[in-house]
Amino acid sequence: MAKTYDYLFKLLLIGDSGVGKTSILFRFSEDAFNISFISTIGIDFKIRTIDLDGKKVKLQIWDTAGQERFRTITTAYYRGSMGIMLVYDVTNEKSFENIKNWIRNIEENASADVEKMILGNKCDLDAKRQVSKERGEQLAVEYQIKFVETSAKDSLNVEYAFYTLARDIKAKMEKKQEASNPPARSGAHQIKPNDPMRKPTSWLSRCSLL
Amino acid sequence: MSSSSVEEITDQSNDLFTQDGVLLKACSGRPVNELNSIGMLCIVQNSDGTKSIEWRPSDIITVCAVQEQDWALVNAIGRRQRTFSGNLTADYATARARIIRMPLNELKIFRVTNRNQQMSFSNKVGVWQSTFFFQHGNAEVFIAYLKSHVKTAKSSRDRNTYLVVEPTDETRALNRSFTELDIFQENTTDVVWNIVSNLKERPYETTMEAFSKLSSIGLDYNSGSQLLYYGNEASSKRDVSEEVADLLTKSMVAAEEAHSVTKSDEYEVISMKPTLPPRPSIPRSTPLSQEKWEGLQDTLGRVTEMDGVKQLIFRGGVAHSIRKQVWKYLLDYYPWHMTHAELKALQKKRTDEYYCMKLQWRSMTEGQESRFTEYRDRKSLVEKDVNRTDRTHPFFAGDNNPNLETLQDILMTYVMYNFDLGYVQGMSDILAPLLLLMGNEVDTFWCFVGFMERIASNFDMDQAGMKHQLLQLQQLVMFASPELAQHLALKDSGNMYFCFRWLLVWFKREFSLIDIMRLWEVLWTGLPCANFHLLICVAILEAEKEVLISGDYGFTEILKHVNELSMRIEVNKVLSSAEGIYHQIISAPHLTDQIRIILGLTPLGTSAPTEDDDAPEATGTNCKDNDAAANVSTSGTDMEEAVLEYDGIEISIVTQTVWALLA
Repeated sequence: MAKTYDYLFKLLLIGDSGVGKTSILFRFSEDAFNISFISTIGIDFKIRTIDLDGKKVKLQIWDTAGQERFRTITTAYYRGSMGIMLVYDVTNEKSFENIKNWIRNIEENASADVEKMILGNKCDLDAKRQVSKERGEQLAVEYQIKFVETSAKDSLNVEYAFYTLARDIKAKMEKKQEASNPPARSGAHQIKPNDPMRKPTSWLSRCSLL
Repeated sequence: MSSSSVEEITDQSNDLFTQDGVLLKACSGRPVNELNSIGMLCIVQNSDGTKSIEWRPSDIITVCAVQEQDWALVNAIGRRQRTFSGNLTADYATARARIIRMPLNELKIFRVTNRNQQMSFSNKVGVWQSTFFFQHGNAEVFIAYLKSHVKTAKSSRDRNTYLVVEPTDETRALNRSFTELDIFQENTTDVVWNIVSNLKERPYETTMEAFSKLSSIGLDYNSGSQLLYYGNEASSKRDVSEEVADLLTKSMVAAEEAHSVTKSDEYEVISMKPTLPPRPSIPRSTPLSQEKWEGLQDTLGRVTEMDGVKQLIFRGGVAHSIRKQVWKYLLDYYPWHMTHAELKALQKKRTDEYYCMKLQWRSMTEGQESRFTEYRDRKSLVEKDVNRTDRTHPFFAGDNNPNLETLQDILMTYVMYNFDLGYVQGMSDILAPLLLLMGNEVDTFWCFVGFMERIASNFDMDQAGMKHQLLQLQQLVMFASPELAQHLALKDSGNMYFCFRWLLVWFKREFSLIDIMRLWEVLWTGLPCANFHLLICVAILEAEKEVLISGDYGFTEILKHVNELSMRIEVNKVLSSAEGIYHQIISAPHLTDQIRIILGLTPLGTSAPTEDDDAPEATGTNCKDNDAAANVSTSGTDMEEAVLEYDGIEISIVTQTVWALLA
């Protein structure tokens, strides 16, 4: 079968319930917006292939239920993620405060070297804004994570966000591949089973050039 | 804990297969005090690529479950970690000295005795070097695995003794593959430990998973699957009439048959999992009509034949014109035995109660709210979800739709009714069809309470109820559709997470509003068994089996495919096949107590210890359904059962009363 892409990246959208994860995904994958989306139960994903510096990159983007209660289920899908979008709602203070919890959640469940990005969504709703852009930026600096304010409704910065995250993953992967030439396949076996702080296997060891 | 010594152990060899709970009974050259100690019998991969049988005493090795038991069972990617207790550095030398190791290429002969619980090994004929006793169940899983690595021939003198002939090609291929390839996508140790931890609870499935891991490397696929399906193929080739004859003759000793591993002369793991009897096709009936419903009430309005009514509803659902009324009974808002007058009084009482609770939150001031985080959080969650519940349906569409406000009010009042549970996503999905049907806020609320009562465990804070159901579903699929179960396990989907949405909101997202009404009312009857909703899952999956397997669908494709079944499932068809599957399962000669318990049937108590572990929990979480099951059995004694026969399976589906009503 003909190759339709050069890379496959698994991305994940996480954040509190109702911050607009599904809307961001819908905007990116279908370039559309629907004010009355249904809440996500369980997990789903969408695909979009983008062109990145001459390479076809297939993005498999996973959308999760936001409510804390469902985290035991949703975190099972963190495995193998190469990039994570942390989404909050600029009109909802709580969702912003929770970003810290989500980051901790990533640290516990995703690969250590997963690329991250913070999105402050619904920035079109300026009248209802509770979280300033500056605070978002400050948090991003604190965690050394890239940040952008988005609006799925007005299609603002959504493309930019996914392209940026994908580009960072690609750069990191290529760097890693150069460094370990010929490619080392031993990553999965170097982890000691007795290490209690063991992180899941690096996605890099699994990522294959197709 | 010393990590360096641990590294030494793990670096030297790689566990390919491990069996816990194995007692050292005899070993030449070992002091007596070392005998009868418990340990783990493994097949290990040595650093040079060769393999050995290895027994390790377990007093220095303990498996520590990092998660709660229940969860670890569900999790196909076990997160169990290996930890070593005690002062390992000091114990290390002694421990190592006690390890017994026999290279596979030196193994010449082994035998199985003591009802398959005991195995002896030797590198020369005439003297047994080591003997082990399998405390947990028996040795068949280990033997099956061992036989995938060494070619054996049965001794002519003793059918329980096996001679190792020569290394098979597969063995060589495996040898090569283990050294050259990344066999497991996951951390190898995780896989092995998952096998270990699961073996005890579900030996068959675990072995199957273990084999599938091996076959997934592609080298040993054919021989692996032959081994796995030997029994299935063999039995599926048999004449159907033979199958039916078997059913009749074996039924008396069914349970024992299912668990006795020995087919006297062979050790085929799979032969103890025969295929199910053929699926009967059970027609659906017409919905309970208004006329019949009215005829079922006495002059005072009491519903006298509750069991008969439930049977009718189970068979055909409820006509839409009387749904509004009948649902109140099905959802335990109206007691069946109440007269019109009593119901009127009850309704008044419930109305007052509702508005009292509603007032509690309605009267909260802004100031109060600002100091009540938990309440505020719940309110905001409810608002968010109400605005995205069934908005495409005309009843909930458009801006400022008053029905949205009613949804909001009911859910907020429910928060006051059950603050501990509060609001969890999915509840608005459960509520919407009820409001659409009832129209009335108070009636809807109490019906919602009744529905929530049945499925409250779906919304547990720790999701224990969901995890338990996913596990039960896994077990049912394993029993009813082993081929599919194997495929799912192979594709990392054995935990059934892709069915999460189905279970959480009882298929609400999979059907249109009118179809979900039909499905729910049938499920509320509690017939024909407990957890029938899990058999609905099995029926849907079974219908997709071919697509999933022949398309070689992987982890992501399975999830996608299942998610995309939404609005494409025929409700009557799925109800009919689920009922057919139910009859297949309960008439299977190898029906286990584990499955009996899931379906609310009385366990025979003859099963392996693994099922005993599950028993109290299974009965605990499904008390509601069990009540229903109890009703069925009592009704069986009160009324004559009508028995249909299909392909040798007896199906009792309707009571005499119902026959009379249908006439």
